[in-house]
Amino acid sequence: MSKKKIVAATGCPTGIAHTFMAAEALKKAAEKLNVEIKVETHGQVGVENALTPQEIKEADGVIIAADKDVNADRFHGKPLVDVPVAKGIRTPEDLINQIINGEASVYRASDYEGSSESNTEDTTTQHDKQTTSGKNWGHTIYKHLMNGVSHMLPFVVGGGVLIAISFLFGIYSADPENEQYNQFAKLLNDVGGLSFSVMVPILAAFIAESISKRPGMVVGFVGGLLADQGGAGFLGGILAGFIAGYIIILLQKLLKKMPHSLNGLKSIFLYPVLGIFLIGIIMTPIIVPLTGLNEGLMSFLESVQSTNPLLLGLIVGAMCGFDMGGPFNKAAYVTGTLLLSEGNLYFMAGVSAACIAPPLIIAFATVIFRKYFTKEERNAGAVNFILGSTHITEGAIPFAAKNPVVVLPIIMLGSAIAAILTYMFGVQVPAPHGGFLVLPVVTGAFQWVLSILIGSLVGAFIYGLYRKKAANNQPIKE
Amino acid sequence: MKNMIKSSYVKLQATASSQLGVFQAIADIAVENGIADNADEVVKGLKDREAQSTTGFQDGFAIPHTQSTSITKPAVVIVRTETGIEWESFDNQPAFFFISLLIPEAEAGTTHLQALSALSRTLMDEEKRQQLLDATTTEQLSLLVEKSITPEEAN
Repeated sequence: MSKKKIVAATGCPTGIAHTFMAAEALKKAAEKLNVEIKVETHGQVGVENALTPQEIKEADGVIIAADKDVNADRFHGKPLVDVPVAKGIRTPEDLINQIINGEASVYRASDYEGSSESNTEDTTTQHDKQTTSGKNWGHTIYKHLMNGVSHMLPFVVGGGVLIAISFLFGIYSADPENEQYNQFAKLLNDVGGLSFSVMVPILAAFIAESISKRPGMVVGFVGGLLADQGGAGFLGGILAGFIAGYIIILLQKLLKKMPHSLNGLKSIFLYPVLGIFLIGIIMTPIIVPLTGLNEGLMSFLESVQSTNPLLLGLIVGAMCGFDMGGPFNKAAYVTGTLLLSEGNLYFMAGVSAACIAPPLIIAFATVIFRKYFTKEERNAGAVNFILGSTHITEGAIPFAAKNPVVVLPIIMLGSAIAAILTYMFGVQVPAPHGGFLVLPVVTGAFQWVLSILIGSLVGAFIYGLYRKKAANNQPIKE
Repeated sequence: MKNMIKSSYVKLQATASSQLGVFQAIADIAVENGIADNADEVVKGLKDREAQSTTGFQDGFAIPHTQSTSITKPAVVIVRTETGIEWESFDNQPAFFFISLLIPEAEAGTTHLQALSALSRTLMDEEKRQQLLDATTTEQLSLLVEKSITPEEAN
């Protein structure tokens, strides 16, 4: 007989001790009983050792030893033993034996949608899609949107940075007619450009995926392509994603009466065919006005950029500094990257400046006011020089998290100053990421660095003075 | 990780004879060593956690733990009592060996939490538990714990 395979998930409310004790106990018991086991822990630090859909699929049974929600939906259709975390610590062998002896009953998730193919879904997607939709619309829409944004970003960053590198060979290095032509640069530019070009379809696809899983993703992708090629840009893509997601929800409702045996036909035939047809019918007439709106927004931003750099810088800086890598920051960042793809290199310069400033604010503060920071903080501060220089805003988060009410406004101010100066100097940045690494391709590199340094230093002084005051002017003793 | 346990965080032959007494002993050690700034808050936190579900497990071990705003640095505090104390353990044996995990409310870094979870895992190992029981000085104990929360040693 081949070795039995079991997957397990453990979790407790505080997520510090029992989660891990139960995991350890289950592993030891499994070893003793000669069973293969993988244990996912839902601790304070987040989910570790996460189970993949494949592992769940292959497992002979599932053990949940938890006093908190561990996303049981994904275990639909598996023999399941569900007990409090204490049982996992105390009687792990019993639990495993229940699976081995086939005493566990098969789990049926009550609100589970779809057929067996859903078992292969990405476990990181939200499982509570429909149950929450009635309760909090704003949050739901935000969640779908962010699913799209977070799947889109790697394409943007990867493609964008490759394009940026190709510019290092000369700004026309991808043009065979030009004397700067370089074969490798053209390759970088082509590959990067291709990655960039699927941005809007990916955005739409994963907005829809968040709403109605894989069937939605297919329809969303096509909707996004339609929007993109029709010139409706990212606004069209967002709309297409939501429409696509809800087309599938609607189809699921309409086809609910169909016999269960036809489930396979639904997912491989009916949903794609009907869904893609419907998204085509709906998108085609609305692409034209959307294109206008999109162009209007871009030109509005462009006009604000030239007529009122102060206002634009203030908005962009505040957005980037407010949550450092969170949704507000991303909104500004995404607008920047999308404008970049439309050929607007000015907007991104301010966004980048505002994203680079926060870690530098922290870094400078820990150097200039070193007496008022602990040794650990000073080390982290030094790392922030590197993080800031490469456009990784998140480095400042641990410092801000200690006292967000005071620190965030300081960071926002510093970021805003950096962005405002950048817009006033008319700096152009053609790369969506990379920080100071892309300096060779920046138009007005000196002014850009100057803007960022001024913003960072102003922020660093205010933050440092705050730390000094918080420490009652007494240097921190180690 | 080094600073999470010191020999001064360990108290052997404590005189506590009730759950509350143990919590008080832990909180006092925490305040004396600058781990927490308010002993009452720590006691309350430990009590609240205990009320959710017992932290006792077996062979006299229990791991009362809490996350509280009054705690200023993550630390492991060890109290060993002379007499066993009723703790609703899994094996229904009284507890006398208390390994307390104290965590600041705003713990941003995950390294400390991981260290503490490594310690919890260690306690599931009978041999390691025996080593802890055999330790006779505060230095020995703090070294043992330090070893188990140092990432290279943890598994």
